[in-house]
Parts: sequence; C-alpha cells; structure tokens
Amino acid sequence: MTAALEVQSLCRSFDGIVVADNISLSLAAGDRVALIGPNGAGKTTFVNLVTGTLKPDAGRILLAGVDVTAVSDVERVRRGLVRTFQITRLFPDMTVHEHLMLALLQRAEKTGRLFASLDSFKDAGAEADDLIAQLGLAPVADVKVRALAYGHQRLVEIAIAVALKPKVLLLDEPAAGIPHDEVLRIIEALERLPADLAILMIEHDMDLVFRFAERVIVLAAGKIVCQGTPEEVGRDPAVRAVYLGSYASRDRDALGPGPTVGRGRA
Amino acid sequence: MAPIPGRPAASPRPGCRSRGVPGRELVAPTVVAILGALAYLAFPDDLAFFTRIIVAALFVMSLDLVVGYCGVATLGHAVLYGAGAYAAGILCVDGLTDPLLLIAAGSVAGVVAGLVTALVILRAHGLPQLVLSIAVVQLAYEAANKARDITGGSDGLSGISPGPVFGLFEFDLWGRTAYVLALVLLIATLVVLRRVVRSPFGLLCRGIKQDPDRIRAIGGTIYGNLVKMYALSGAVAGLAGGLTAVTTGVVGLDSVSFEWSAEALVMLVLGGAGTLYGALVGAVVFTGFEHYVAAVDPYHWLFVVGALLIGVVLALPAGLGSLAAWLRRLLPQGAP
Repeated sequence: MTAALEVQSLCRSFDGIVVADNISLSLAAGDRVALIGPNGAGKTTFVNLVTGTLKPDAGRILLAGVDVTAVSDVERVRRGLVRTFQITRLFPDMTVHEHLMLALLQRAEKTGRLFASLDSFKDAGAEADDLIAQLGLAPVADVKVRALAYGHQRLVEIAIAVALKPKVLLLDEPAAGIPHDEVLRIIEALERLPADLAILMIEHDMDLVFRFAERVIVLAAGKIVCQGTPEEVGRDPAVRAVYLGSYASRDRDALGPGPTVGRGRA
Repeated sequence: MAPIPGRPAASPRPGCRSRGVPGRELVAPTVVAILGALAYLAFPDDLAFFTRIIVAALFVMSLDLVVGYCGVATLGHAVLYGAGAYAAGILCVDGLTDPLLLIAAGSVAGVVAGLVTALVILRAHGLPQLVLSIAVVQLAYEAANKARDITGGSDGLSGISPGPVFGLFEFDLWGRTAYVLALVLLIATLVVLRRVVRSPFGLLCRGIKQDPDRIRAIGGTIYGNLVKMYALSGAVAGLAGGLTAVTTGVVGLDSVSFEWSAEALVMLVLGGAGTLYGALVGAVVFTGFEHYVAAVDPYHWLFVVGALLIGVVLALPAGLGSLAAWLRRLLPQGAP
C-alpha cells in the first residue's frame, strides 16, 4: 500500500547551519507517530518543510504516492495534508463556531460565495455543531476565541484540523502551554481522531507521547538519531544522551550549543 | 425572542444570540431608510448637503470593505471613486443621459480601477502598500489633470446634465430627485454589502485580515480573494462617483485626489472600521462638521475635526459607531 506521507532525504540549511539533515520517514494511513527531540532539533522546521511553507534544499515529499515537493502549501492542504500550530494561530475576533464554519466551507470550496448567508449552509452548520460538541466546546461555541482559555483554544486548533478532513495530520505540540491536568482533554480529543488518519505528532510532553504514539522518531540537530516503539526509544542510550545533554556518546559532536536540558521525562 | 422556525425553541447552545435570527440583516437598512425619510421631511432645504453625505457614506463603505474587512492599507481609494465620477461625467457629456445607466457605467469603471489598483498595491504589505496606494492616486490625479481635453483638467468637467430618472423624475433645483435616488442606492448597497460581509466570502476575508498565513494553512488563497473584494469595493466607490457626477453635474480633480482618499480614511476611523455602519456614522459626522463648523469658522474647522479624531481614537478605538453597541449593552436586555 502506498504511504499516506513519504519524506525522502529531506535537507535544508540556513546560512550554513543544517536544520534538516537527510530526513526520511514514512507514514501509512492510521499511523500514530511522534517526533520528539530537544529544543532547536529542527522539529518545527521539519513541519514547515513538509507543509511547504519552507522549500527544501534537497529531497522529496510524497502525498499518497504523488510528488508534491513543487506543489504550493495551499494545494497540499487541499490534497489532505493539514497541520496545527505550536503557538495557537486562531482568528481572535471570530467565534469558535465561525472558525469551524470557515474550515468546513473552505474544505467544500464554498468560501468564494459572496451573496449566500452563512446561515443558509445548514449542513456545514450542523457539522460544526457536531465537532464542537465532540470536543466539549458547546458552552463556548459563540464566544470569540480571544476570550477563551488557552486549553480551549488548543482544542479549537484540533477541531479546525479535523474539520478539514485531512489524510495526514501534523500536530505541532498540541499540548504546549497548557496545564498538565488539562492535557487529558487534549489526549481524549486526539484519541477520537479518525482511525484511518495518519498522524505525526511533535511533542515535548513524554506522557502524551507514550500514551499516543505507536512509533517514536527522535530528531537532534536536524537528524533522525533513533526510532522505534516508545519503549525502545526510552531505553536507547542515544536518546538519553540527547535529552540529558551528555554528548559523550557516538554522533553527538555535531550538536553545537546544547539543547535545553531536563524538560524531557523519558 | 420568538422561537426561530427550523430550530428547536430552546437553543441547544446557551450564549447563542446572533446566529440564525431571520431579518436581522434588515435592521440597519431600515434604520437608514427611516432616518433618511425624516431628514427629507425635516430639512427640505438641505437635501443637496444630505446627498453629499450619502455619496461620502457610499465611498467610505467601499473603503471599509478593503480596510476594515481585509486589512489592506490604502490612501489611494479615490482612484476608484474618481474613475466612476469621470466615467459617468464623460459619458453624459458625450450624450448618454439616462442617470441610472450613467451610475452603472460609473460602477463598472470603479471595478476596472479597483482591479488595476489591486494588481499594484496587493503586491506589498503594510507601509510599502500604503506608499504604493499614494503613488497610484497621484498618478491617476496627474493623468486626469493632463487629459484636460476629456476631463476638463483643473477646471473640472462640467456640462453634465442627465435626463430624468426612469424618464419621469427630473433633477430639480431643490435636489429632491437627487436625494431620493441617492438614498435608495445607499439602502440597496447597504443590504447587499451586509449580505456580503456575512457570507462565506466575508468570513474568509475577516480571516485574511486577522492572519493570512492561517488561512493558507486551511487551504484558502489570499491574493485572488483580495482582488475580488477590491473589485466589489470598486463597484461601490464607482457607484458613489457616478452618483456625484449625476447629482451635482460637475466632476473635479479633487475626486481622484489623495486628500479625498485620506478624508475617507479619517471618516472610517471616526466611525469605526469593519462594521459598515461605522462608515455611515463617520461620513455623517465628518461631513456634518465640514458643513456646519466650517460655516461658522472656515479657517479652524479642521482643527475641531482633528481634536475629535484624537478624542475618538484614544477614548473609542472602535470608532463612534461602537457607541451604539455600548449603549445597547447599558439598556436592559430583551426577554430571552
């Protein structure tokens, strides 16, 4: 079966600093993969390369077997590659319901409609209400997101992504910045995502990674240093070295200034 | 609130107030119609002045579409207005006398000018965009000045004498026909634009204004949609220009000037951007000041406007139009 997302030998550097060093990975439909690594490992750069907001120096990106390396970021979204943002990127003056309407109507390619009232799109309205209810956002459906608690905003990010019915979803630190006891709500939301969706989650929170992912890929200095099941990765000395800041072992001399250490709970 | 047809009587979402209430979008046009009729009855000697207010209101609403709803920075919007005014004026001098056709021609010219402006200024963002818009309006101004054979140059284009509306209503000395025509066009435009800003396209444009990169991340495009809004804005600005040519009988260079563009922006900020009715409030207040305060003190009226602008921006950043919402919150809420 063709992989939902395939990344082949992706390379990118900024002013001579390598931020993506020959990264290859493959996600099949239904995969739950976590991409972890210390700060500055190049995780968000990798997401930007895959979504197309950054151009790679070399390498290829394939969506369902089709090379999309030269395809624009917008067109990749339309072909089913959707991301969420590490720092919430919502429209402060729109309500939760409006966010979902916008995403649903965009998916249906109806955002060009000038003279139709939003209320006349009953199917989209009902679908938006469904998604809102699923994520427990019903009490705040008509609140502008600028007035929402951060945890709710993170759920809206996820809801927008789901509304776009992606085939591949890149979750950029879905639990970043929210209190630990609210992470549970994010986990519940993630566990309800469609089973056939291929998900690559970038995350610092190891509890979340271990609970969510079947496979973990460890990135350091733009390079994949290790991958395997969460247990295998947790045992791997290379990973410990990366997270604990000991660069004595093999391959560690290229890391440059040390990553922020001690945040990982692996 | 009466139960809404097609929905359960008890709203499933507490806090849902604004969605799906039928007829809500007709409130503002109805208010404008009533005020307009009252003005007609109460001040029959000031109808030419009221017509000027309506023209300004249409122009500022057109500006609101691109500034308030899309976040485009422009000080060159008079290009769209002037194109409409000159198109209607020149066609009328050349023998086309039906006023509605002339106004329609002005609107089309506004669309063309809007598309051309959009192609230039939407290539940049922020400050460079503002500077480009000034460059465009200065070029248009000079072009109109140089082409004096067809535009009348700095003397203005005169001799515009349109026929009666529908072949029935002559433009009279008191400006009654002109005023009623302007008021009807204003109400019709308001109905259409309120529809547009509440459409999927309007929602998309609000998103583009707030975070264009996020719109791309849900698969929406930016440039094409902004050009589309610019064309619509040109249709309204051109309509205002055509209306002024038809109702005043003259078109001057000031209709494509930087000053007129800047005044429109001042009116929009005064009234409040991104609501459409703020544009109306701003046009009424600014043009009213110009009319009454300038009559009392022709040398210092802009001083008063400046002070008002500073006061509004500091005390009511959302514009004078937000006073209405503020007052509404003070009033007791209607029965649930």
